[in-house]
Amino acid sequence: MSEGKNKTIKLLKANIYYIFIVIILCVLPLFVRNPYYAHIFIMFFSYAFLAMAWNIIGGYGGQLSLGHSIFYGLGAYTSTLLFVHFDLSPWLGMLVGGILAISISVAIGYPCFRLHGPFFAMSTLAVCEVFRILTVYFSDLTEGSIGISIPIRFGLKNMIFEHKITYLYIIIGFFSLAVLVSKLIEKSKFGYQLIALREDEDAAESSGVDVTRTKLKAIMISAFLTAMAGSFHAQYALYIDPSGEFSILLSVLMAVMAILGGVGTVFGPILGAALLVPLQEILRGQLGGQLHGLHLFIYGVLVIIVVMFLPHGIFEWLKGWILPWLNKLQILTPEMPEGERAREDLVAWGRAARDMSHEDEVILRTRDLWKSFGGLVAIRNLDVDIRRGEIIGLIGPNGAGKTTLFDLISGIIKPDSGVVEYNGSNITGIRPAHKLCHRGIGRTFQIVKPFGNITVLKNVMVGAFAREGAEEKAREEALEVLDFVGLYPKKDNLAKSLTIGDRKRVELARALATRPKLLLLDETMAGLNPKEIGEALVLIQKIREHGITVILIEHVMHAIMNLSDRVIIMHHGEKIAEGTPREVASDERVIKAYLGEEYVVI
Amino acid sequence: MLEIILQVAINGLLLGGIYALVAIGLTLIFGVVRVINFAQGEFLMIGMYAAFWLSHLLGIDPYFSFLIITPLLFLVGIMMQKVIIKPLLNAPSLALIFATFGLSIALQNGALLLWKADHRAIQTSYSNSVLLLGNLIISVPRLVIFAVAVAIVIGLFLFLQRTYWGKAMTAVAQDREAAMLMGVDIHKVYMLAFGLGIGLEALAGVLLMPVYSAYPTIGFQFCIIAFVIVVLGGMGNIFGAFLGGLIIGLVEAFSGFFISPQLQAALYYVIFVIVLVIRPQGLLGMVGAQEMGFK
Repeated sequence: MSEGKNKTIKLLKANIYYIFIVIILCVLPLFVRNPYYAHIFIMFFSYAFLAMAWNIIGGYGGQLSLGHSIFYGLGAYTSTLLFVHFDLSPWLGMLVGGILAISISVAIGYPCFRLHGPFFAMSTLAVCEVFRILTVYFSDLTEGSIGISIPIRFGLKNMIFEHKITYLYIIIGFFSLAVLVSKLIEKSKFGYQLIALREDEDAAESSGVDVTRTKLKAIMISAFLTAMAGSFHAQYALYIDPSGEFSILLSVLMAVMAILGGVGTVFGPILGAALLVPLQEILRGQLGGQLHGLHLFIYGVLVIIVVMFLPHGIFEWLKGWILPWLNKLQILTPEMPEGERAREDLVAWGRAARDMSHEDEVILRTRDLWKSFGGLVAIRNLDVDIRRGEIIGLIGPNGAGKTTLFDLISGIIKPDSGVVEYNGSNITGIRPAHKLCHRGIGRTFQIVKPFGNITVLKNVMVGAFAREGAEEKAREEALEVLDFVGLYPKKDNLAKSLTIGDRKRVELARALATRPKLLLLDETMAGLNPKEIGEALVLIQKIREHGITVILIEHVMHAIMNLSDRVIIMHHGEKIAEGTPREVASDERVIKAYLGEEYVVI
Repeated sequence: MLEIILQVAINGLLLGGIYALVAIGLTLIFGVVRVINFAQGEFLMIGMYAAFWLSHLLGIDPYFSFLIITPLLFLVGIMMQKVIIKPLLNAPSLALIFATFGLSIALQNGALLLWKADHRAIQTSYSNSVLLLGNLIISVPRLVIFAVAVAIVIGLFLFLQRTYWGKAMTAVAQDREAAMLMGVDIHKVYMLAFGLGIGLEALAGVLLMPVYSAYPTIGFQFCIIAFVIVVLGGMGNIFGAFLGGLIIGLVEAFSGFFISPQLQAALYYVIFVIVLVIRPQGLLGMVGAQEMGFK
């Protein structure tokens, strides 16, 4: 009973400023009597709402859309046409428009998501233009470039009101919804995975993220919200036209506000809108008549300045000096209320993999595997058998096809022919990598790919989300793994701020958090100093003790020779030898191809 | 009927020449610096206004004023690289996109502020002059543009093949780091690329003046078409830009004639998206080129 009460108090405390903000938002309209200020507030909340909607796919997901007006326009036209022709309430029209926007977003996203950065941006921009042109063209339905005036019939059902204050309340409601959605996303598995794929798609996929699905989900949510704003604005302005709704400038503004404030945060887009909307409205109001274009000119210059001096947005910059101050005032409660962790069950993450009953069973088998890139044969007729619980060293000169083999096993690329069997089932050509991650194949990358702009803990949590659904569970699991690899003290550092050795450890931890049965380590020790190599050796031993089969590509010979049960040597895509470290070290061909005389065992 | 089709084809090719000329600067900058300059079109607009004012105030014909305007904008390009692009080369690619987008918005509205939204045209003695080939009509100023586009493609090709700086540019385009290690001063190469890209864009603007009128957003409209062309031809490929320009010109002419002038643009945007999705490297581009330099 009292525990429940405590929990409630804790919850209230943790969310104290949200409650504060909600109260302000509820009371605010009561004080705005002047219609001009009411208008500015409505514009602010509309733009903040739009920027937050954009931020879901553009900020968290890193997919730079410059065509979000598509959804805005769809929302506006759908609700308006349904209202004008069928007298359907815009509230329902808004829903229909939202659903339409969702379907269009999937139709755009599915083909275009394979494009990156500016290319995705340009394709969305082009699609937006297509919508505008089509809206002008089909003038029987849309009244073309003349636009549609919405008949003024006041009433809640018609979403048309005499007083601006009512609109203000509605848009505040929308705004709160967007804040809530953003917050929920940030705290969910979906949100973590979305941020992970923004940081690095390959690494995200290998950590169990279904990249395409996650992106589609994000653009669907974003499109729905954007369409809502379109419907709302149509009912507010009571007039729509193609160039106003499917507007490139509007698309850009949504993005600019989010970027100006800080992408991938809840408050960034709000901050961006809070800066730009009053500026825009005041400049337009004061100077619009005689100096047409001035406010946008200032906009443009401002964007350049902010991008040049604060490329990570105003929010990041503010956080730098406001956060410590807030902490002092005890307003911000720390996000993670965890005490000292019980150390005895820190090995819990090994549970799933610690099935040692079939020691001799083959966990991975390849037969007659071929892969070539253009004319270069990277993998030639490769047969390997890996037994459960083994540590296998995979060595060979650069370009021997080692990493390619990892890519084939982990589903990054497809073999030309041949078979890969894992755990008794055929996994040949199963892609993308997240499917294999879910089956228990984890990997690290030769060129490290940590998710640079998020903390070490969050990096590893992305891995843990491959198995877990809830944030708390994933956090616990990640902390356990971090402790295991010795990164616990650095859990709150940004991954990009780490040394190369620690970055490699983050990758290892991330892979371990997916609870692999088979772990592929690609040059985990390259670039480490002797002490770090020693630690890595111990770590890999410990990993094996949890029943995880390990294949490691390595050039650090003493590590390979000490660690491996068996060594496989590759050269020009072929396996040229295989055996215990001792056996291969005395093999003529191996010495010739790779080792050099130094490792001859007499 | 055949004659009509031939006439439409000629119109399409001449339009294509204009588009090619507009796209060459964009593709050059992209190919070398790996930056998509969203403000590219604004330099076309500036070239047009410069030609307009030089003609209007001083009576200098566009076919002479390009001699002043092109070098000036070449310098502007160098400045842009120095002041805006260079400091952002190591920033997230988002920053670069929005820096150039911000510049585009500022220049467009700066023009609106200074010169209003009016369409401004100059009437030259040759604006409406035509060559007659039987019953076929060929506009002389458009033919000039086409010829200049061809000349620039050939000139750039020779420059890239024969001169040190041209070779350095090619090297930087292929591998920034390797070129640097070979002693190429990449910032000079970047400045040269920006200077050339923007100078050529302004040249295109000047040459357009006898046939088009200048207004603040004309650059942006051409810029979007230039993107389509550059993607179609292969990012960074100068021949690709020329070929892409001709294709889009023909598509526009024929779709305008056979379908509807209103849907011309929609059609090439659709082509654009389809090309991006099916063959993102473009017609003449290298496989994987669309990934280079971006993260």
